[in-house]
Amino acid sequence: MAGDRSQEAKAPVLEVRNLRVSYTTAAGPLRAVNGVSFYLWPGERLGLVGESGSGKTTTALSLMRLMQDTTVVEGGEVLLDGVDLLKLSEEEMRQARFAKISLIPQGAMNSLNPMMKVGEQLRDTIRAHQPKGNSKATIDARIQQVLESVELRLNVMDSYPHELSGGMKQRVCIAMSILLNPKVIIADEPTSALDVVVQRQVMETLRRVQVALGAAVILVGHDMGLMAQFVDRIGVMYGGKLVEVGPVRGIFKDPLHPYTQLLIKSLPNLDMKDVFRGIPGLTPSLLTPPPGCMFHPRCPQVIQRCSVDIPKFVEIKPERWAACHLCEGGRQ
Amino acid sequence: MISLLEAQHVSRVFHSGLLNKGHTLAVDGVSLIINEEKPSITAIAGESGSGKTTLARLLLGVIQPTSGSILYRGQNLAAMDRPTRKEFRRQVQAIFQDPYEAYNPVYKVDQVLTTPVYKFGLVHSREEAHERIEQSLRMAGLRPEETLGRYPHQLSGGRRQRIMVARALLLNPRIILADEPVSMVDASLRATILESLVKLKREFGISFIYITHDLTTAYQVSQNIYVLYRGSVAEVGGVEKVIKQPKHPYTRLLVSSIPLPDPDKHWGGESEIESKASAPGAPQAELIGCKFSNRCPYVMAECQQTAPPLYLTDDNRAVACYLHKSGAQISGKEMAELLANL
Ligand SMILES: Nc1ncnc2c1ncn2[C@@H]1O[C@H](COP(=O)(O)OP(=O)(O)O)[C@@H](O)[C@H]1O
Ligand SMILES: Nc1ncnc2c1ncn2[C@@H]1O[C@H](COP(=O)(O)OP(=O)(O)O)[C@@H](O)[C@H]1O
Ligand SMILES: [Mg+2]
Ligand SMILES: [Mg+2]
Repeated sequence: MAGDRSQEAKAPVLEVRNLRVSYTTAAGPLRAVNGVSFYLWPGERLGLVGESGSGKTTTALSLMRLMQDTTVVEGGEVLLDGVDLLKLSEEEMRQARFAKISLIPQGAMNSLNPMMKVGEQLRDTIRAHQPKGNSKATIDARIQQVLESVELRLNVMDSYPHELSGGMKQRVCIAMSILLNPKVIIADEPTSALDVVVQRQVMETLRRVQVALGAAVILVGHDMGLMAQFVDRIGVMYGGKLVEVGPVRGIFKDPLHPYTQLLIKSLPNLDMKDVFRGIPGLTPSLLTPPPGCMFHPRCPQVIQRCSVDIPKFVEIKPERWAACHLCEGGRQ
Repeated sequence: MISLLEAQHVSRVFHSGLLNKGHTLAVDGVSLIINEEKPSITAIAGESGSGKTTLARLLLGVIQPTSGSILYRGQNLAAMDRPTRKEFRRQVQAIFQDPYEAYNPVYKVDQVLTTPVYKFGLVHSREEAHERIEQSLRMAGLRPEETLGRYPHQLSGGRRQRIMVARALLLNPRIILADEPVSMVDASLRATILESLVKLKREFGISFIYITHDLTTAYQVSQNIYVLYRGSVAEVGGVEKVIKQPKHPYTRLLVSSIPLPDPDKHWGGESEIESKASAPGAPQAELIGCKFSNRCPYVMAECQQTAPPLYLTDDNRAVACYLHKSGAQISGKEMAELLANL
């Protein structure tokens, strides 16, 4: 099933290799994504977690090549079905968006155009990214199909965003992301503004449409509870790097990287009171990053090497990747 | 028991503006007591729109109740002399949900820290002021050198919120009302900040009213919890009872919707409640009786006639639900007293 690479002849739908992205700032380049590599199997749900500022959104935007003026892609590859998106022309990339890879951006539900009816916004999305061979009738038929799949009534097409509840707006954003049958859906904190009851319903809808479509999902966020309930594998980001990637159960039961270990311990649960602990120290500056491992100034298990050598991101054991001198060459 | 801060059957109506005429009963007959003699953390929980922030603003005297009253050390906020009011404003601090509003965008963030320090005469020199500010910034998880001298818009929402925590700490208050103080910060920092609240309670005897939609952290840090639904207390009591064995159908829905950080714990076990209660409720004005009745799978005839009173179901928990009417009826005030005395 999803995330199982024993399935014969299945290549990753997406492979990111050594992605490096920085922002030009007055104080110099800010390395927001600093050598990120991961793969995504068809139909798989991958979680990308990390503290705010760890580079999750920059990674998501870079996969979509949605750059700002100050964004500099310093290097790397984003292979979607073997094609490097970073090498496509602007026009080719525009056609790949939504049709091959789509994004539900952070705060999406508040970035719907307030002056435009929902139906019109959905039509525009299809017209902009799939300009050819679409009559209004086929476009509307597709929109109706998609709205049904996200459990919205068709009359939302005639509504303005402000007339909808938060949960409904987020469903519109999900609908928009699947209009053109993408193979990869990136959802950047899709439910962080929603109440817990609505969050659960929206995530269930996302899961249902994703399974029906056979699309893979990258869920970006920092809620480990949501990750535990939704994804197959988790990638943990710290200071612009992936420090650990592994199957969700492995990450929760047997985290390899000291940062992941502390992250898991910092989670409040309903089993016992007073057992959760914050991670001491502050997140690293990306303008003047520490030498060696980004986490070493906060790491309780730090050794001399950690402040000198940058640890490599390697497969420690099957399916379990980590970047830590203590893990390299076997379990610590 | 000496009551430090108290809400006595407080209600607040908002008359909404031009677009949709009508009114919102944002807080509906809530009673709550914080015991001065026993530092505590009391959670107020509920979905957005349930009236949590309005209750906090009432308790702070920022807005006035439509009916009922707020008492600080037994004195009605509405009729308080100046010196007592000044004391009230130092002893009762707040950390709000959207910290941006607390800042003046044309001033550096330093201003929100220096103003209270001087206003309340807490220091004797500039150096002392600076030291105190830096210390509270660090307690809130900030690097002073990366924080001071910036303008509000140059900092992330999470950082702005942490400055508010630092600011509340500066004044050495008796009680801090924290309105969703960690809903905009990350898990690890969330734990750090909540840990520090617990520590402040333990070491300095500061009480907290912790307002949140997150029942997991409410369970972790607080002793008692008030669960609000559309402005009314649906369930109230010790957290072990209310969160671990919720009785009100609404609390059960909330608890079962929590995504637990354990892949082997299935999300949602209360499928009966969820399938029915998922539908958004009818507009408030159309409802008589229990406000949850239009979403409740167990709705009975009486639920749609009169709003249920609180019934005591355990020695430290009461539920506003006719399913539990075998318990003794108890008023909101009696229940608040009962919990404050525990
Ligand atoms: N447009 C920008 N200009 C400069 N720095 C930016 C910009 N956008 C993000 N950053 C910085 O890049 C880093 C990564 O940010 P982001 O990708 O948004 O992280 P996350 O989504 O994990 O919170 C942060 O330090 C952030 O302040
Ligand atoms: N200043 C106001 N004017 C009009 N309505 C308000 C105002 N403040 C709050 N409300 C309404 O009161 C209800 C409770 O809001 P609030 O106290 O902010 O809830 P919560 O903090 O639990 O999300 C909501 O329906 C909200 O729209
Ligand atoms: Mg982000
Ligand atoms: Mg609020």
